[in-house]
Amino acid sequence: MSRRTRELGLLVPAAAVALLGAMSVANAQSRSLEAGPIAVIGVIAGLFLLMHIALRLRASQADPYLLPIVATITAIGMVTLYRINPVLAREQVLWLGVATAVFICTLAFIPDHHVLEQYRYIFGLSAVALLMATVVFGTDISGAKLWIRLPGGQTVQPSELTKILLVVFLAGYLRDKRELLAIPTRRVLGMSMPPMVVLGPMLVIMGTCLAVLGLLNDFGTPLLYFGVFVAMLYVASGRVGYVVAAFGLFIVGAVAIWAVVPHVQARVDTWLHPFAEAQGSGYQLVQSTYALANAGLVGPGWGQGFLLGDRGHYVVPVLDTDFIFTAYAAELGFLGAVALLCLFIVLVARGFTIAAQAPDGFSKLLAVGLATTIGVQAFVIVGGIVRVIPLTGVTLPFMSYGGSSVVTNFAIIGLLAVVSHRSRVPYRPRVPRKVRRDAALAAEGIGE
Amino acid sequence: MNRSISRVFWAMAAGFLVLTGMLGYWQVVHAGAINDRPGNPQAIRRSQLIARGPILAADGRPLAVSVSNNASGQVIYHRTYPNGTLAPQTVGYSDIIHGSTALEQSQNGWLTGDYGAESLLVRLGLRSRRGAAVHTTIVPAAQAIANQLLAGQRGAVVALDPRTGAVLVMASSPGFNLNDVSGHFASILKQPGSPLLNKTVQHGYPPGSTFKVVTVTAALESGLYTPQSRFDDTGTVNASGHPLHNFNGERFGPHDLTFALTNSINTTFAKIGLVLGAQRLGSTMQAFGFGRAPSVDLPAGMVVPSGRTASTGHILPSDQAGEDTARIAIGQEQLSVTPLQNAMIAAGIAGKGTIMTPYLVQRVTDTGGSVLMTHRPSVFSKATTPKVAAEVTAMMRNVVKEGTGTAAALSGLDVAGKTGTAETGVAGINDAWFIGFAPSSAARVAVAVLIENTASQGGVVAAPIARAVMQSIIARSN
Repeated sequence: MSRRTRELGLLVPAAAVALLGAMSVANAQSRSLEAGPIAVIGVIAGLFLLMHIALRLRASQADPYLLPIVATITAIGMVTLYRINPVLAREQVLWLGVATAVFICTLAFIPDHHVLEQYRYIFGLSAVALLMATVVFGTDISGAKLWIRLPGGQTVQPSELTKILLVVFLAGYLRDKRELLAIPTRRVLGMSMPPMVVLGPMLVIMGTCLAVLGLLNDFGTPLLYFGVFVAMLYVASGRVGYVVAAFGLFIVGAVAIWAVVPHVQARVDTWLHPFAEAQGSGYQLVQSTYALANAGLVGPGWGQGFLLGDRGHYVVPVLDTDFIFTAYAAELGFLGAVALLCLFIVLVARGFTIAAQAPDGFSKLLAVGLATTIGVQAFVIVGGIVRVIPLTGVTLPFMSYGGSSVVTNFAIIGLLAVVSHRSRVPYRPRVPRKVRRDAALAAEGIGE
Repeated sequence: MNRSISRVFWAMAAGFLVLTGMLGYWQVVHAGAINDRPGNPQAIRRSQLIARGPILAADGRPLAVSVSNNASGQVIYHRTYPNGTLAPQTVGYSDIIHGSTALEQSQNGWLTGDYGAESLLVRLGLRSRRGAAVHTTIVPAAQAIANQLLAGQRGAVVALDPRTGAVLVMASSPGFNLNDVSGHFASILKQPGSPLLNKTVQHGYPPGSTFKVVTVTAALESGLYTPQSRFDDTGTVNASGHPLHNFNGERFGPHDLTFALTNSINTTFAKIGLVLGAQRLGSTMQAFGFGRAPSVDLPAGMVVPSGRTASTGHILPSDQAGEDTARIAIGQEQLSVTPLQNAMIAAGIAGKGTIMTPYLVQRVTDTGGSVLMTHRPSVFSKATTPKVAAEVTAMMRNVVKEGTGTAAALSGLDVAGKTGTAETGVAGINDAWFIGFAPSSAARVAVAVLIENTASQGGVVAAPIARAVMQSIIARSN
């Protein structure tokens, strides 16, 4: 069975999840399964078929599991969104359409990801520029100034796009400086360090990004960038020392911010003692915890939990974005939530497998960076909800409502597909027809 | 490079394992404690999703039922009380904000379908959750008469079936409407006379002369006295250094024990109390159930014990040596008796010396009608011997025939009883009592009636209520 046929077969369970999920939501609300959800599910299935066809045409040897896993997570996300807010679910289908277009364009216009390597500084600087632009033109939504309002009234979240730019930059940069990183030249505080000229540009770009995000009152995204940065640095250098140093810096920085910024202290207090402020700053977490505990091991089932009040309002705040995981786990229970976490870790595992199978350093670093992005982002938001770390508002990939997030994540999957295809089918640039004919004639020894 | 790649992956997998662990803590391990937190809207909604079983009176009349309605796509239930004023403090309420009380609280397991393997079957999706029906022993007709006659006064009525212990009437006044709890709780709280308090079990009152039934039982048991024992009343007895008088300062002259009970002669019972002493009096009190409260199927701790209120505020089962047994014998000296305990005293004499354990829940049936639980009558205590009980019965019959309790007399039926009028400490304000049973030879009902804060006496205000309640119950069982 070819890789693409296997992929097509594995897309069937994802469609089944969407169908059964929509049915159980409709049943729970004592409505018949109207034409609406079926048509919408058809549209979503069509979008994934388009992506599948694009893979057949442009990356036939790409990993066959990426798309089915993503489709299953998307199906779960769509059903959850449909259950809590059918209007948003329909809007999200439009965003999924845009994401499909971006996915197909990624395959169409980046036949070989190695071309990105030479533009690494452009990517790095664009990341900084985009975040700077957010500072200048940003709109405040729910406490963080992370969105830029477009003339059409839509808002985009540049920090989502920035994460791809940074990963490409880091992959190119670290590939370039790998050998230098591996050979330390001096010792700082008892630790071997490479020359500053090697680290400098990377630290400047990373530091600027983190600082700008801090200014924007966002702490989830810097955490994500930092996690990805450390992972890529470790893969590039193979040196645990860097990881230790980075975490040391991180802890010093975190404590410093905690000591200086009052509302960070408040957030840490909320993390440790949400019930102390159950009606105030802890309200979100407390309501989310109530909803999780209510589900228990297996949960009441889709549509059967208490997520919407009598006036249709969310019982847990920001249920469609930050707390979409709660919306799901509150109805499918611990087992359902663990299944979802397994889907994410399997998706990450595929990304790491692609990295391991890739022949060159840039591909490996790119794949690790992209896969880590998805994994760390899921960890940061779910970890915030289950109180492993303080709650920071990042989206859950492929699940949260929002265009920027879903578009960026499909671009990530597109890039991973290209990397995995290219590790099996090395890129041979297409040569113009005349050159090719001349070469053929020359080979045959027929001259004019 | 691939070694580092695999290490990063395992680090991330470890992170997800931590997520899974914490998630399991919140959703499974610690979920019970989270669910029990007050104000948890999830727990409130979950309770609304259960079709709570009905609470029914002895004739099947509904006292509490659940009504379904639709809320944002879900079927939820809310509790209504079709006879919300009939026995509000006994049925209790089950409310999102104000919690649950009385039978609604104690029978919650049955009412929510959380019994046996039922919750497991529901959990496995094999059965939808339906609460079981709780059939009580409350007789609505008699309960309504008690309410009606108590109306406008503060007081309580308890009627027991002495043969089984079934609580036929448990009325407390002032009452309230259970349907007002969810919307008008504050106005219930504002009403005078503590309407939420179940005065039959949650509060003790000085028993006054009704306690003479205990004293006379102890006297006969001691062998020192017979119903014919002779006394001479001079109108005053010196006890613990203070003179003790009869009600209204009366003097009765020479008489026997039966006459003393019939006319409730304080001086004679004070003398008996002095002779019997703390130990004999105390052991008879304990035999009647003082010091330990039966649960009556109500929530733990709702029924308070009766006894002597110690200086510490605790209720002691009996008298301590060195106390004023003369005044205890006539029902004074900080004695605190619940109407339930007083009804149990009447039931003990009526039951030939045996007190059956009082209970409110006759049986529990599931939605299909099959019986899940039936009450088996059990002996609560042996109050006295059948011989003494028969002697006390004869004396109590005389109280109703020609003594202080004539207002309780029923035509064609032998009623036995004892009145009581306890001083509250405020001059002219008494707690008036009547305890009794009928028919005296083979009692079908034992009753205790209390009227608080009245200027009148037990024989005047309490006895007629007892009479009407007993009549209603006997008419029903005929």
